[in-house]
Amino acid sequence: MPEDSVFSALSDPSRRRLLESLAGRESASLTELAADLPVTRQAVSKHLAALGEAGLVEGQRAGRETRYRLTPQPLGEALAWMERIGDRWDERLARLREHLAGR
Amino acid sequence: MEVEREVFLDAPPAEVWEALTDEEQLEDWFANDVEFDLDRGGVFRWDDGDVRHAVVEEVDAERRLAIRWWDPDGADESEVTFTLEEIPAGTRLVVTETASCDWAWALEAKAHAGRQRLLSAV
Repeated sequence: MPEDSVFSALSDPSRRRLLESLAGRESASLTELAADLPVTRQAVSKHLAALGEAGLVEGQRAGRETRYRLTPQPLGEALAWMERIGDRWDERLARLREHLAGR
Repeated sequence: MEVEREVFLDAPPAEVWEALTDEEQLEDWFANDVEFDLDRGGVFRWDDGDVRHAVVEEVDAERRLAIRWWDPDGADESEVTFTLEEIPAGTRLVVTETASCDWAWALEAKAHAGRQRLLSAV
C-alpha cells in the first residue's frame, strides 16, 4: 500500500469532506460530488485523483460519466495498526502494574 | 493516527518514573532486552524478534517522557509519550503512541471508543 499517498490524501480538509460525501452513497459522479462541496468541479476532480492514488477511491466509467466509490481498505489497515499497537500497550501496562506491585 | 491508554497505578510518580526509565526495571516489564538511558535513548528487544530503536525527545522528570522510535529498517516510526500525574491513590499514567503522519481524522471517533481505562483496585 502506498502509505505516504494515503497520509497526504487525508491531510486536506476538502478531500476529507469528499470522502465523507462518498461514504454516504454507493457511488457518485463528479457533478454530484461538486454539488456537495464549496469548491470547483476542477478542484473536486483533482482531489479525486489524489484519493485514487492513495487507493481510497475508485472511479468506474458508466456510459458518459465516471462513478466514484469509496475503497476504504487503507483505512482498515490503519484501524488494524491501532488495534495491534493498543493491544501491545494493554499487555505492557498490565505488566507494569504487576512490576510495581512486586516492588 | 494515535492510540491512547490511561492507567491508574498504586505507586507514587517517582516510582513509576523509575520503572519507565531504569534499564533494569524496563527489562522486568517492558521488553526482554533493554539498552536505554535518558541521554542517548537506546534499543528495545523482545524475544519474539521485535526490535525498536529509540531516541528521547522530551524529559520532564516524574511528569512527562516522550520518545521517538522505529524498527531496524528505519520504518514504522512513531512517537510514544508517557504523562504522569500524581493522584491521592498513586499515579495516573497516560500513554500515547502516534504514527508520524497525521491522518487521524477518520479514526478519532474509533480511537475514542477504543480508549480503555484500566482501573486498579485501589
